[in-house]
Amino acid sequence: MGLIVKTSARAIIPLIGIFGTYIVAHGHLTPGGGFQGGATIAGAGVLFLVAFGLNEMRKHYNKHLYSALEGLGGLAFLGAAMLGIGTAFFYNTLWHNGPILNGKPGTLLSAGFLPIMNLAVGLKVFTGLVSALVAIAMYRRWKS
Amino acid sequence: MNAEAILPYLIIIPLFGAFSMPIVSLAGKKAREAWAVIISGATLVVASALFYHVWDTKEIIVYTLGAKTPFGQGVDFPIRIVWEVDLFSAIMALTVAFVSFVTVIYSIDYMKHDTGLDKYYTLILVLELGMLGIAITGDLFNFYVFLEIMSIASYALVAFRNDTWEGIEAGIKYMFVGSIASSFVLLGIALLYGQYGTLTMGYLAIKLLQNPTVTAKVALALFIAGLLFKSGAAPVHMWLADAHPAAPSSISAMLSGLVIKVGGIYALARILFSIYSPLGNKILEVYHQPYINMSAVGWVIIIFACLTLIIGNAMAVIQTDMKRLLAYSSVGQIGYILLGLGIGLTAYGSHTGEVALAGAIYHTVNHALMKALLFLVAGAVIHEVGTRNLNELSGLAKTMPKTTFAFLIGAAAIVGLPPLNGFASKWLIYESSAIYNPVLGAIAIIGTAFCTAAYVRVLYTFFGRPSEKIANAKDPETSMMLPMFLLVLAIVVMGLFPWQISDKVMIPAARMLEQFNFEYIKALISLAGGA
Repeated sequence: MGLIVKTSARAIIPLIGIFGTYIVAHGHLTPGGGFQGGATIAGAGVLFLVAFGLNEMRKHYNKHLYSALEGLGGLAFLGAAMLGIGTAFFYNTLWHNGPILNGKPGTLLSAGFLPIMNLAVGLKVFTGLVSALVAIAMYRRWKS
Repeated sequence: MNAEAILPYLIIIPLFGAFSMPIVSLAGKKAREAWAVIISGATLVVASALFYHVWDTKEIIVYTLGAKTPFGQGVDFPIRIVWEVDLFSAIMALTVAFVSFVTVIYSIDYMKHDTGLDKYYTLILVLELGMLGIAITGDLFNFYVFLEIMSIASYALVAFRNDTWEGIEAGIKYMFVGSIASSFVLLGIALLYGQYGTLTMGYLAIKLLQNPTVTAKVALALFIAGLLFKSGAAPVHMWLADAHPAAPSSISAMLSGLVIKVGGIYALARILFSIYSPLGNKILEVYHQPYINMSAVGWVIIIFACLTLIIGNAMAVIQTDMKRLLAYSSVGQIGYILLGLGIGLTAYGSHTGEVALAGAIYHTVNHALMKALLFLVAGAVIHEVGTRNLNELSGLAKTMPKTTFAFLIGAAAIVGLPPLNGFASKWLIYESSAIYNPVLGAIAIIGTAFCTAAYVRVLYTFFGRPSEKIANAKDPETSMMLPMFLLVLAIVVMGLFPWQISDKVMIPAARMLEQFNFEYIKALISLAGGA
């Protein structure tokens, strides 16, 4: 892409990333959550891929790392769901018993395991979407 | 042993295995294979414990996610996701876990020439997870989510060998047909939710009986249409005949043995008997209230069953591709199961209906075992000889004797020879269909005649004069023979005690499914009044 696009992308990618992180982190307070925020951050990845091209993306993208992070996101979600297994699967023990994340409703640290799950889903969606799009972008060539 | 405490591990263990697979596979090839075997083995242990508990106590287990009770504070209706496990669910869960375990072992050597195997093992565990979820869930939307998990994993696995044209073609066909079918199911769920405002199956059954509207009938039609697609019933069986031959054989074994049964037959039975309670509608009819005519629904299923029986088995006779023959035979066997299910619904409340339903459940399990065995054998033959064309495979008995023996057992079981397990389940279906309506019995017998012709043809090929193509073939290595041996063992052992299994397991399962006492609803309501 041209110089204007690259320069604007340099400015915008961090903003998209920060906004996406905001959506993930405030999933329990405002509209949005893990999927929406993760997809937004993946949008930053797509902008990077489109603006700087596939060769630049190859240098910054590690298949194993992204694959492992995606698995880690799933494991974190499952781990949060299992915290209250003594009562029931998905029992929100952090909210009912603490020690953390059981603040006054409406504050950031208030929803039990929900912020953890939002972060996990956000990580999974971001790594998954970026991996899928890079894999498609790298797909051999146009003819066979 | 507390069954409620172990039930979530049926989901947690495969989910944990699937999520950790990308991390474990960084440690290398051996680690991920060992991990897949450990995870599916642990799932089998949990499923066996669950099955034993449900069979032993004859009670329906209700498990609530997120709290002790599904009922919210101050409201008298369930607001949380519940999992309800009756004996039929437990039987399906055990079958799924067993067949998945043997196919994972089989995959180690069968798939070793392919690439991208960390994705393969993740997908196979996700497929198992989706099927276990369908079997245990008692929530309609949760059911849909697990149905999609299962379907999407199976689309990806059918097209796993993406360097072959047939894998891609079958994958696309399966994906299009399957997505349409899933959207039918989702539309049905949306209609029911809009009309009755609940998604819990047991509570939805109560609401439906209070007010059986036209919406409920439309939703039922959508469910039946979507789930007949998924089970590969007659007019919409084409995807199955393409998908099963194109998939890797270990996946064909899971697709044919499990996916079409759990996603099609089991889900259909659960919706027909647990949500659209036939007993409740009968009572409404007696009191001249609006009702849903479930025996008409049963006839619709019987018509599709008869079509499926004839078309599936007749098409199996003329195939020259070994796996395509097995795929059409699966369509034919689905016809028997649907026939049992349909008679169980039309003859609801009579002994005949109960026997038919027990036969359908029994045949579901038996066919899962024997069709898994047959596809694993087909995989071994392809692995060793490199062709699926029956015309080139003559004389295989000389060079691959153990594999041929396994095929012989599987073929004899699927035709229904007495010392093996297929006999008892088919007998129950023949008996009940002949008592209910002799024409249906005759159709079932004609189907078996075609089925016998198809398998005798294959065996005739196997025992013929050796062709030069198979001169260098030999029996596959132990890790591929062991799964076949386990399945042969299961078939023979189940064949030795057919009536004991029928009386002790299948008839109680059918009785719990028919819910003459509204057991499924009562199990849910009994949790009301908790915290």
